[in-house]
Amino acid sequence: MTTSDDRPTMIEFKDVHKYYGDYHALRGINGTIKAGEFFSLLGPSGCGKTTLLRTIAGFEDISSGVIMIDGKDMATVAANARPTNMVFQSYAIFPHMTVAENVGFGLRKDPRSKEEKAKAVAEALEMVGLKGYGNRAAHALSGGQRQRVALARALILKPKVLLLDEPLSALDKKMREHMQVELIKLQRQVGITFILVTHDQEEALVMSDRIAVMFEGEIAQLDDPETLYRRPANKKVANFIGTMNFIPAEILSETGDKVEIEAKGLGRVALDIAQAPVPTGEAPVVGLRPETLTLLYDDQKAAERETEGLIDEVIYLGDMTYYDVYLGGTDVEVRLSMRNVPGRPVLDVGAKVRVAWSPSALVLFR
Amino acid sequence: MAATPRSEARAGLKLISPTAIYVILLLAVPLATVLVYSVMTGGRANVSLPLTFDNYAQLGTKWVYGYILLKSLLIALSVTAITVLLAYPVAYFVSFHIKPERKSLWLFLITIPFWTSYIIRVSLWFVIIGKDGLLDSSLMSLGIMDQPLNLASYGIPSIILVLAHAYAPFAVLPIFVSLEKVDRSLLEAGQDLGESRWITFLRVTLPLSMPGVIASSLIVFIPTVGDYVTPKLVGDGKQPLIANFIETQLLKLQDFPQGSAFAVVSMLMVAIVSIGFVFLNKRFIGGQK
Repeated sequence: MTTSDDRPTMIEFKDVHKYYGDYHALRGINGTIKAGEFFSLLGPSGCGKTTLLRTIAGFEDISSGVIMIDGKDMATVAANARPTNMVFQSYAIFPHMTVAENVGFGLRKDPRSKEEKAKAVAEALEMVGLKGYGNRAAHALSGGQRQRVALARALILKPKVLLLDEPLSALDKKMREHMQVELIKLQRQVGITFILVTHDQEEALVMSDRIAVMFEGEIAQLDDPETLYRRPANKKVANFIGTMNFIPAEILSETGDKVEIEAKGLGRVALDIAQAPVPTGEAPVVGLRPETLTLLYDDQKAAERETEGLIDEVIYLGDMTYYDVYLGGTDVEVRLSMRNVPGRPVLDVGAKVRVAWSPSALVLFR
Repeated sequence: MAATPRSEARAGLKLISPTAIYVILLLAVPLATVLVYSVMTGGRANVSLPLTFDNYAQLGTKWVYGYILLKSLLIALSVTAITVLLAYPVAYFVSFHIKPERKSLWLFLITIPFWTSYIIRVSLWFVIIGKDGLLDSSLMSLGIMDQPLNLASYGIPSIILVLAHAYAPFAVLPIFVSLEKVDRSLLEAGQDLGESRWITFLRVTLPLSMPGVIASSLIVFIPTVGDYVTPKLVGDGKQPLIANFIETQLLKLQDFPQGSAFAVVSMLMVAIVSIGFVFLNKRFIGGQK
């Protein structure tokens, strides 16, 4: 993962609002997308991520605010004049054309000769792994192939920004995972800014340099995948990305850069202020990812802290086992995950266990 | 296994027999009669052997036969062209600029002319464009003209006008259906790839709606070639077309073989033009699912 900070800005949003009648679809979007970045807009359906993508492409007008692409205000620039190209969710392959005609669609006004254009089309097809498919009828392609055609058709125009509207959602799981890796490679190869819209948090984590998590028309958090996962800004983000255990807590004291809390089942913990995102006024809870909790076997010792537990449920997945465990004799139940490596037998429901955890893995939401 | 292929076939035949009898009696038998009559020797109001191709040969000897065929063909093609060209924008407007929940209302309104019998509609055109009709009297009372235009006396243009009006709704519907099937994201894709709305229309929407255009053309062309009522009522009956001519041969002159031969030739003509349309259609449909 490369750092995005030192790159020039490609897209900038300044207080972007969008209304559909009374419906407030985008509620003050701010942020920047860097040149050459693989950026994802992640959120549940109806959160405004596709709307935001379409405002970049120019298919939707914004009600107020500014969208700049490569330093230029896009307010008066029509979709067909923007330095962006889109891979549509349906791929929008022209059914009355061959693969080559589809890929070459945007080259009509290109001053190059017919032969040079044909060569460019062939190269674009080769880049997406469809060498020799030029004369095929577009309707005879599989889902994965249609997507590649859509990619080639957009990339042949050398846009500054490639927009991808849930491009993988129509593919089966195997194909999807395969295309994720291919898209990352392709993005590195061409080096242009990719903006991906997805509702699949795993996909966003796998592919992106940075992710904007959106809820109800607002960006809830904009960070790199690791920060997003380890330090979610609020409970909603924490819940949307991966699994997180929430444990009721009480704030005992807050001094400078330390917050001392009493978490139910875990006891007293001193947290760094960095582990406590901006307060939202909710009842305080601490969040803990399942993989940061470890069951201790036999005479293993916890590196930092340990707590008594009682196994309530065992979910065996082959490579992993999930345990739902009551902590420290309380009614607080957490889920933890253990890899099934040799020397770690799968435990039974009702077993008394010791659970190791680290205070630095906690996040305090309040 | 209860059903062998043969017993299944028998059951199938039984099931379709009412329809089959209907089709045989009302379509196949009359068609066969016309075909047989066209190669028989004619007399007044009867036919007799031997079989002969004289009736067809006759058609080549008199220029009036060819003239009527050609005139009917040209009128039908003009009606088709005018109707489809005018229907396309209507269909486009309803498909692209009317809210989905209002579309059926619009289509319903477009079919309103059908609520009146065709004969009455033709007669009403007469009231408008005929001698001392609405058009002439208003033009004259406004002082724009001092002589009546009497458009209806210009046989061919008024026949085209009346037919084009009569078939307009037929032409709108197939074009509308094919426009409805055009995936709207294709139009966004066209613009995204740098084309204006107009060029996107020419490169994407128009080719994708061609099956509808061709279906409309056929729907208008086939019945207008054989139209009988319009030339009879409009243009004072001075511009007989194929159907009128066949009527004269069969019913007035009672020359059954000659009339049948003429009917077969005109049927072939329509078939050839229609097959041309179908091939055009295949070219467009062939590229799609």
